[in-house]
Amino acid sequence: MNYSKTRNTIFSEQARVFEHNAQAGNQYVMRLRAPLTASHAKPGSFIHMQCNPELLMRRPMSIMRADKNTGWIEILYKVHGDGTMRLAKRKVNDIVDILGPIGVPFKLGGYRKFPLLIGGGVGIPPMIFLAEHILKTAPAVHPLVIMGSEIPFPFKARPSKIMVSGMPEGVIAAMPLLDDWGIPSRLASLQGFAGCFEGYVTGLARQWLDSLKPDLNNEVEIFTCGPTAMLEAVSQLAHEYTLPCQVSMEEYMACAVGGCAGCTVRVETDDGPAMKRVCVDGPVFDAASVFPPR
Amino acid sequence: MSLDERNKAMLAIDFCGLKFNSPLVLLSGCVGFGEEYTRVSGFSNTDVGAVCLKGTTLEPRLGNPPHRIAETYMGMLNAIGLQNPGAHKVVEEYLSKLDFSETRFIANVSGSTIEEYAEVTRIFDDSPIDAMEINISCPNVKEGGVAFGNDPDMSARVVEACRNVTKKTLITKLSPNQTNIAENARRCIEAGTDALAVINTLMGMVIDIEERKPVIGNNQGGLSGPAIKPIALLKVHQVYQVSRQHNVPIIGQGGITTANDALEFIIAGSTAVGIGTALFYDPLICPKINAGIIDYLNRYKLKNVTDLIGTLKLHEDGGGECSG
Repeated sequence: MNYSKTRNTIFSEQARVFEHNAQAGNQYVMRLRAPLTASHAKPGSFIHMQCNPELLMRRPMSIMRADKNTGWIEILYKVHGDGTMRLAKRKVNDIVDILGPIGVPFKLGGYRKFPLLIGGGVGIPPMIFLAEHILKTAPAVHPLVIMGSEIPFPFKARPSKIMVSGMPEGVIAAMPLLDDWGIPSRLASLQGFAGCFEGYVTGLARQWLDSLKPDLNNEVEIFTCGPTAMLEAVSQLAHEYTLPCQVSMEEYMACAVGGCAGCTVRVETDDGPAMKRVCVDGPVFDAASVFPPR
Repeated sequence: MSLDERNKAMLAIDFCGLKFNSPLVLLSGCVGFGEEYTRVSGFSNTDVGAVCLKGTTLEPRLGNPPHRIAETYMGMLNAIGLQNPGAHKVVEEYLSKLDFSETRFIANVSGSTIEEYAEVTRIFDDSPIDAMEINISCPNVKEGGVAFGNDPDMSARVVEACRNVTKKTLITKLSPNQTNIAENARRCIEAGTDALAVINTLMGMVIDIEERKPVIGNNQGGLSGPAIKPIALLKVHQVYQVSRQHNVPIIGQGGITTANDALEFIIAGSTAVGIGTALFYDPLICPKINAGIIDYLNRYKLKNVTDLIGTLKLHEDGGGECSG
């Protein structure tokens, strides 16, 4: 007998919808009762969900928050196609078929003193999960969360109560949830939203990094999730400042358990290029392996 | 005999001398190298008769660029491009991790030349693998620039070359993208295949209208899922007219997602039935299909699922074309 260690690590759950709230920009936050997924999820984990029983292919969704005590998880999604359109119609108390938690999460623990979490659009959720995890497990670590969006942010931004040195003047908008936890956050957009940095997340991150004393630069590491172009830009930034960087990737997915190799990304390894499955080899990868420094 | 034992006995079949727990076979390209779905709690390889491993070539292949999959109405396209670590690594690293007491494992032999098919077959012959499936529906072949599987002469030559290097069970996976599948089946049987897998995916395309580009990185892909079921069923019916004359069993496949689907394929002439895309919808579908088959057998007082094979009653005044 040679049973693999990976056996029975993903759970099939009939998850009841607890809350389902529409946000600006055709975005939704859904809270589901899924105790097995909630108790095993880690920042970077995702679920593979049936949006509607009539639509057979599932959709991968990053987990934004998980509470193992009460057994709920939360996801954030934007209506983009047929699947998410049907998902948006699901009501409180509906049952949603999910598989979770899936994937290799971020490397947790042993953090540098100033983790920089950069989330773009629907890549924001894993950053929230990671920020909450750091808050609960590493009190001496001081994360900063930078988020970007070209549609309204999926929360009502408000002026932050937390000072962040090195931020350009007027860049004061923050995510209330993070602010309430005492975690500083700042927002970037090209859409001229109040209190946001007018530019890309990498532009804002660069200003903050440049404001740090040179010796403090060694205390920063980057975690990121978002559109591929943003991940590539963040990876280049990390390379430029010689900072460790982990990226959470996205790709069209069929099985989400490693069976079909449909969701691969090209990764540079010691043995040369390889096609790695986003679902079970990722979704989190070392940035330089996916986006080799230019 | 307990109810559980009786149920097991109803599903158990002999497939070319191999004992299958159930007529269900997990299809190549859907379940990695046999262990991937065991990640899902509640899933067990013991629920199926056999598991077909991912298509394997002599040398490692990276496969196609993304996107490799696209959703379609009642189905999906895929173009993975035979990503695999090469036959030697599959035998040395992957087969050693499998639990052969749970089910039968079938290798999927792929290649660009007849010599490569034969060499990969030879490598698997010298391994614990239970059987080999010859994948002659790969479009990227060297000789003639057409798929081996769409040319009965070439199909037969591949089967013959593989037959010459192994005594293990050989299953030939037929392509639906050809004019006369029954004729191809006949040639493969004459060339020495022990069984037939009917059908592989149908070639298709999906276009992103904003980009005006194919969604699939390979431009085209193979269509699977419920959308192809009626086509697959007819192909099984056609092939069965030939294969039954030689006692060659069929693994019927194409869009099976329910017990009723599986029963249709068995009635049409399949000895075993393949489950592929349906696993993506529900990884725990196999025990549900097994239970549905048992219910049906009980309803018609049949002792074993093999009693149902090829029991199709055609309309006597019906039309249609059947080869063989």
